[in-house]
Parts: sequence; structure tokens; C-alpha cells
Amino acid sequence: MKFVVSSSVLLKQLSAINGVVSTNPIVPILENFLFRLEGNILTVTASDLQTVMITEIEVEGGDKGAIAVPAKLLLDTLRGLPEQPITFNVDEETFGTEIVSDNGRYKLSGENPIDFPKTPTVNRGQAVDFSSASLGTAIANTIFATSTDDLRPAMTGVFVQIGTENATFVATDGHRLVRYRRTDIQSSADTSMIIQRKALNLLKSCLPSDDVPLKAEFTASNAFFSFNNIRMICRLIDERFPDYENAIPTNNPNTLTINRMEMLNSLKRISIYSNRTTHQVRLKMTLNDLSISAEDLDYSNEANEKLMCEYNGDPMEIGFNAKFLIEILSNLVSKNVTFELSAPNRAGLIIPVEQEENEDILMLVMPVMLNTYA
Amino acid sequence: MDAFFASVEQRDFPELRGKPVAVGGSGERGVVAAASYEARTFGVRSAMSSRIAKQKCPQLIFTKPRFEVYKQVSSQIRNIFAEYTPLIEPLSLDEAYLDVTENIPGIVSATKLALEIKQKIREQTNLTASAGVSYNKFLAKLASDYRKPDGIFVIKPEEGAAFVAQLPVEKFHGVGRVTALRMHELGIRTGLDLRQQTEAFLRQHFGKAGGHYFRIAQAQDDRPVEPDRIRKSVGSENTFIADLDTLAEMQAGLLPLIDDLWRWCHRTSVYGRTVTVKIKLNDFQIMTRSRSALLPIRNRAMFEQMVFELLEENFPLAKPVRLLGVSLSNLEDSQPYEGKQLALPF
Repeated sequence: MKFVVSSSVLLKQLSAINGVVSTNPIVPILENFLFRLEGNILTVTASDLQTVMITEIEVEGGDKGAIAVPAKLLLDTLRGLPEQPITFNVDEETFGTEIVSDNGRYKLSGENPIDFPKTPTVNRGQAVDFSSASLGTAIANTIFATSTDDLRPAMTGVFVQIGTENATFVATDGHRLVRYRRTDIQSSADTSMIIQRKALNLLKSCLPSDDVPLKAEFTASNAFFSFNNIRMICRLIDERFPDYENAIPTNNPNTLTINRMEMLNSLKRISIYSNRTTHQVRLKMTLNDLSISAEDLDYSNEANEKLMCEYNGDPMEIGFNAKFLIEILSNLVSKNVTFELSAPNRAGLIIPVEQEENEDILMLVMPVMLNTYA
Repeated sequence: MDAFFASVEQRDFPELRGKPVAVGGSGERGVVAAASYEARTFGVRSAMSSRIAKQKCPQLIFTKPRFEVYKQVSSQIRNIFAEYTPLIEPLSLDEAYLDVTENIPGIVSATKLALEIKQKIREQTNLTASAGVSYNKFLAKLASDYRKPDGIFVIKPEEGAAFVAQLPVEKFHGVGRVTALRMHELGIRTGLDLRQQTEAFLRQHFGKAGGHYFRIAQAQDDRPVEPDRIRKSVGSENTFIADLDTLAEMQAGLLPLIDDLWRWCHRTSVYGRTVTVKIKLNDFQIMTRSRSALLPIRNRAMFEQMVFELLEENFPLAKPVRLLGVSLSNLEDSQPYEGKQLALPF
């Protein structure tokens, strides 16, 4: 098997799917890219058994054949080469692979392509059309709130519910929750699934900067995405997602509207003075006045700031983990945000005041107990 | 309390009085939970296997434990303690430390106060108790064991060091059989021997506990009486009538233990983060395996799964299994406290 390809084109495509390749995989063959040549099309596959990414590259070939090539060695070589056409000569008997460039020759020992795990195929899945930008935004808005606790696997992914009117993306770690809804994503039939965090991260990082159509198909066990010349197949998390709708409090008489950046910057300063394990900050609301304070009794550190806001409701005090608030406020983009609160032991809702036309964002965070509330 | 469970049995069943009585299972695999003083003269001790106890004392009478009754007596004596001080640190159902430095009736002499409590216990429960009076917890505990039954012993500040010096190390609370053996190997047999070691030496051989041994050898103990000692773990275990061989048998044997613990968690709203499985083989070799979750385990299925995984990871076992136990630690109170991050309700 022999083909010629531009070094920079190959590098770009391999880099797009390289995130799947883990450094210490369960099966050693997964340290390789699977190359499959058919005429002038080279199909490259990377897999970690949970997620598979495939890209197609046009090459000068004509042969038919396959080889598994060590991913790291190949990428390092390509990164060091100036842009030029390079030639791959593969001996399919010995799996030896030779790369010829203007600079010289490099010999890699490949592996038998037969050993590379089979890629799952779509079998009567539910098809959904996305735009790459809307999916990218949905991932960016939710993925930070997922859990890393492998003992509650359902929460280590993003719950995606697609219906005839909209699509809802939900992520939670048990302490905070994001519900992100878009009306420009629809499906002919209701479908829902939990997609692994790692797969979504990979997807997000290889989505193009320009908006392109993206096709998705969902079966009971896998999600399939394809856009441009890239395909991704990822295994779904086979768990029941927590009943999140019931966790969103509905009657929240106290509302606080505030400039997002002002509050974010204030929290960043105040949190320096908070307890190092709880990161507890205290929000005290009175008429049009928000005070944010923190203290660390262990070190006798304390800080306090006052911010202008619009507050409607009874004066109240509520504690939060500053890290959660900072993360939430950093992930929003609107100028102003509204906090909807009921009691110091019930979840606080954070809603951006200005929302895109087809977007509906709701974030939720559970408080930290204050000593004044029992 | 003196021979607590056994004394309660002798109180409630006059036919047992004056006879060697053991509370516990009489079966092949039973264990003595408590032995009456009559039984102790034969060498019967608590935690001894019932088989050995019967060898030592063939006429030993076994009675089944009645924990409800013991708990009731326990709360009776705690109510008596509470008349004197709020600083009560229970050690077990029938034992507690009391800090009477400032006491409710304003009695100046701790000895007089102890005699009053003993008297009240006898009047209200018909049982005898022994008291130890001293200036720290370690000495008070030693003193309470010194004149059992129905005794009182006082160690005054000037006597503390001398009292400790003459005592064999195995009498020290906190020095068990294994530690005592290791001390013997190091030539440490009495409190005096212990006192002559440097702290560094003891720490080197006994780790963190070495520091404690060093201080108690000087009769020093600054630990306060802690009224709300927080429970650190909760566990349940069972010795099976016949040894278990298969995984299925062991899983079935673990289920009631899991039920027990889960019921406790539900009742107290306290959940644990760490699961420990204890396996005792029929050659008495004990294995324990633990695993921790990031958050307290609030899901029964997950708890069960962790227990089963810990069990399975030990397979195959070298010998059949005599006992299985499950415990939960790293307990977290679900009652809110300051700085507690509340969780979403799912």
C-alpha cells in the first residue's frame, strides 16, 4: 500500500481526532491510528473503546489496504516537518511503514489492522440535525457542571433530551445544575440520552470555528455525529438521569438583578478570604443593596464588599460556595443576571437577563449553610 | 457497671443468682458477651468462644442477651449521671466518663459524689457499679477497674505516677493483647518500664499511639471529657452457623447486614462515605477491605454493589468463611451544620 499526502493536511486531520487516543489504553493497539486506504480516500480511525473518531482525507493513492500506525510517533514526526507532500510506503506483510519526505526517510513499525476494534454501526437510529455552533454552545454551557464522581455515573455526562419543539441539555454534580434549552434543535420523535463528558469535550474541541451543518443519530447505546469529514461515535451512559425538573424550585419570591461582571469580579476578590475548604461566601440582600462577605476563622481573614443591585423581596442572607458562583457567572455571557431565591436552605436560580432568541438558560446552585440559619 | 449483662440477668431471674452465668450464644460458634463473677472464677471471660468457656466451666449457664433491657438500664444510669453533670462521655452501654469539676449539686468531693451515684444506681436499678475517681480520664478508668465489683478507688494527684509505675502494661486502657506483646518483646512490662522510654522510641515502635503511651506512662492525660463524642463508624457482622463456601452464600449472608446498616442510616439520617467488608476465614485469619466514595452513599443499590465488589475482589478465598461483617465510616450527618454544602434533592 502506498499513498502521497500533504504533511500539513494530514497533521490537521490527525490532530482533530487525536484527543481520543489515550496514552495508556486498555488494549495496546489503541495507541495507534487505523489507516484504511480505498482509492484516493484515506480513512483514519482513533478509538478508546468508548469513543471512536474517524476522519477522511483525500490522498494520491489508488491502492486498497490498511495499517495501524503508532499515533504519537507519527504526530511528532508530522509536527516537525515543513509543509510538503510525503509518501507512505506500507508493507502489509510485516506492517512496516516508511515515510519519505524531502528531508529523509522514517521507518515506523505498525501493527496488524485486524486487531483494531470494530467501529459500531448505526442501526435504525433517531436522526437529528444540528448546526455545529448551536451544539458547541450547548456543550460549553453545560459541561462544566458535570460530576467527576464515577460512583454516580449518570451525572458524569450531559443529559440530552430532544423533542419535537426543542432540545434540552442538563448537567449536574448534585450541588449545582444547568438546564440549557434551544428551540432550533428538534427531532421528529422524543429521544433522550446521557452523553459522556469526555466525548463531548472531544466533540467541542474539534468543531470548526465556522457554523457548519452537523448530523446526529442516536441509538439505544450509541450517539453518532458527523460534520465536514469527521465522524464520531460514542457510547452512551446507560443510567437513569436524576429527576432534575423536580429539583428546580418554582416559588422564589426574592429576586436580585445585578451586573454579571461586577458580581463576578467581587466574588473573585472576596473568595480569597473565604474558608479554604468550604469557599463559603455570604450574600446579604436588603433594598437595592447586596453585600458579599467571607471569613476564614482559621486565619482570621475576612472581607466584605457592597454592590448596587435591584432587589425585590424580604431582606435575607444566604451562603454559597464561591467557586460554584464564579464558575456559573463565568460561563454566562449576558450583561445582567437575575438570582431567584426563596430560603437560605433552598436552591438559588441564576438566569441571564438577556438571552438569545432561541435559547433558554437556567442555572441552579444549592446553598452552603450559614450559622445564622437553623 | 459490674458484669453488666450478666448482673441484669441475675437480677431478673433469681434462679441464676450465685451461679456461673454467661450471656451469649451457647452454640458451637457462640461467643461470651458477658460473664458473671461466679463464671469468672472459672476463667470465663467476655469475648471468649462459648466452646472454650464450657470447657473451663462445664456447669456454665448460657442466657440469650436481651439488649432492649440493657439499653433501658443504660438510660436509667445516664439519667442519674445527668443529675450531676452535663459532661458525660459514654464509653459503652454501662460505662461513662463524668467531668465533675463543676457539678450541678455543687459537691466539693468527687469521692463523695461517686458514692452518691453508686448509691442511686443501686436503689434505682438493683445493680452494683464501680467507680474510679481521679484527675484525668486515663487514671479514672484504671481506678474504676481496680476494686470491682461494687468498689470505689481514688487516685490522688500525688499518687498518679506511682500507681501507673507498678501496673503491668496490659492493664492500661488502650493497650490490647497485641500491643502488650510487642511491649513485652521490647522489655516493657510495667508502667515504670514504659516511663523510662523516650517519646521518640515509643513513636518509632507504635506510631502515633506511642505519643499517647508516653504521656500516660507519666500519668498525664489531657483529653477532655467529650459529651457528644461523634460516632465514627457503624457496623454489623455475623458469625455463620456453618462455614460459607460460595460467593452466592456469602452475598446472601451479607444482605441482612446491609439491611441493618441501611436501616440505621435511614433512622439517623447519617450516611457514610467509606464501606468496609470484613471476612474471617475458618482459620480465624481476618481480612478487611475498604473503599470510599466521594460523597456519602445515599443509594442502597450503590452500597450493596460496593459491598459485593469488595467481597468479590477477595476471591478465590483460601479457606471457607466463618464470619462476615460490613461497616460504614467517614460518616456525615445529613443534619445541616455551618459550612455544609447542601445537595440537590435527588
